[in-house]
Amino acid sequence: MRAASLLLLSVLPLAALGAQTPAQLAARGQQAFAHRCGMCHREGGTGTFILARRLGADKSLLEKRTDLQPLYLRTVVRWGIGNMPRISRVELPESDLEAVTAYLTAPKGPAAP
Amino acid sequence: MKLILPPGVTAARFEQAMAAFARVLGKEWVLATDEDRETYLDMYSPGREESHAAAGALAPASVEQVQAVLKVANEFHIPLWPISRGKNFGYGGAAPRLSGTVMLDLGRLNQIIEVNEKQGYCILEPGVGFFDLWDYLKQNKIPLQMGIPGNGWGSVVGNALERGFSPLGDHSSNICGMEILLPTGELVRTGMGAMANGKAWPLFKHGFGPSWDQMVVQGNYAIVTKLCLWLKQEDEAAITVDVKLDKPQELQWYTEAVTPLRLRGVLDGLVRITSYQSAATVPTLRSEWYQGKDSIPDSVIPLMMKRFNVGWWNGALRLAGYSDVCEANLRRVLDRVAKFTKQEFKVIRGPGNASPGPSTYPLQMTNWYGGRGGHIGYSPVMPADGKLVQEQFERTRRRYQEFGLDYSGTFYNDGRSVTNVNLILYGKDDAEQKERVRKLFLALIADAREQGYGEYRTHLSYMDDVAASYDFNNHSLLRLNERVKDALDPNGILAPGRNGIWPKAYRAQRGKL
Repeated sequence: MRAASLLLLSVLPLAALGAQTPAQLAARGQQAFAHRCGMCHREGGTGTFILARRLGADKSLLEKRTDLQPLYLRTVVRWGIGNMPRISRVELPESDLEAVTAYLTAPKGPAAP
Repeated sequence: MKLILPPGVTAARFEQAMAAFARVLGKEWVLATDEDRETYLDMYSPGREESHAAAGALAPASVEQVQAVLKVANEFHIPLWPISRGKNFGYGGAAPRLSGTVMLDLGRLNQIIEVNEKQGYCILEPGVGFFDLWDYLKQNKIPLQMGIPGNGWGSVVGNALERGFSPLGDHSSNICGMEILLPTGELVRTGMGAMANGKAWPLFKHGFGPSWDQMVVQGNYAIVTKLCLWLKQEDEAAITVDVKLDKPQELQWYTEAVTPLRLRGVLDGLVRITSYQSAATVPTLRSEWYQGKDSIPDSVIPLMMKRFNVGWWNGALRLAGYSDVCEANLRRVLDRVAKFTKQEFKVIRGPGNASPGPSTYPLQMTNWYGGRGGHIGYSPVMPADGKLVQEQFERTRRRYQEFGLDYSGTFYNDGRSVTNVNLILYGKDDAEQKERVRKLFLALIADAREQGYGEYRTHLSYMDDVAASYDFNNHSLLRLNERVKDALDPNGILAPGRNGIWPKAYRAQRGKL
């Protein structure tokens, strides 16, 4: 389910990579999402299942959502929601949370690369 | 979460201590905002989250930084609670026993230091998760197997230190040597690692003289910075006998049938059997089955069994190893089972490396009552004896019914003992139900104590209650544990109250929530 190369993320501090364009930030966010969130929030994950139960299948996969807002994501991550535990700054540092937020809120659509 | 200070520490003194921690770690890794404190609460708490509220968290990235943190904590008398990744769900998550304790979050110590295929071990730092180790083994095509608990989100080291287990067995029994920091900051390696050039550290458990590894497991005497853990060689083949028993009373014969097979090593690991309900709690909501406030009635059970094609009891007898040995052992297993039942069971042959890997899927069960939920387990250890196991099940189920909760029991048989994990699910926002959970839990402790069974691991809120049930010679073991605690940790800074062991400085907190 997760690319093995993503293991590198556990030893490379993402914050050290410096200022990035929105596209670079979102790409970094995609990697962080896969490593830190994907086990629950990709296909077959427990978060995906519970979201499908709560909001419907069309809103169950976060990576396909177009209605997510940065403040909402931040609040859910740090304060938890429903059965999702809170995620600390050690597990998901602010710089990674910013990247994940950029990734999940980036414009999506047929024209996107 | 607002700041709750450690007992006996003033706000000014606490602020000075946090400033000193920041000089050691950098400001970024002293986590002490209200939001930070929130992230260390027990999301699945069976009581009030505030009963186990951290005052903040510290996140060192090296052994030297942990040593420096210990120095400051001793100077300012700040209690610390080490966590590996903080996923000890059902037992307190990332929270401390004593409110006002500062979490020592070791998640940034996350190196896989070595994996040795030939001799079957790994050396890990505490922040390495099951997903990390799994990826490493697969990426490097290393044919070793790791024991994976139901919730695979957590730390491999943290789980072993809690005596977590999986069908492969008790993970703490695979520990073979540690690097630890004593509360006073001294670095020690246990077993053969006590030699400066020790070559057999991850290979031979005991070294010379007393063995310390199991003193550290479930204790509060040291911080583990490296752990050597044995991994099992990948099996050539696996055969599974799919067991479904239709009547609740069949647990007795089944236990009698499998126990000698496990004792003789025909079956290895833990032989697991679980009640029907575990099939329903993950994929469905309780409201699909029953709306009442009391326990789910017996009339619903056949409906669940039919929908999920399960028995009242369900298990898998797993044979793994060389394929010809598995086939020979299978004949032994089927012959033995045939002495107790005419029922035939499905036999599934497969490769030895068919594990799907870690998953967080079972956490879904916390949604059983619909809204925010939680789970705890009451898990006493008892003799592997069919009659006693059957009685334990019936007594426990009656208690669930008495307090209006849904029975969900699993028995793990290692040939000598059986660990009976009783899962208790609840709605987190239903105060009345949570009060019934508390009463059930205390009744189960009392029942088991009367039988001479004790729990192997428990939630923060019940640590004192369970420790009190180990009562030989007026609790002489607890007194010994606390004598050792006071000798090793004179300021009582490390995990006060963990598993009922309170240092002198905080002993008055025993029993308080």
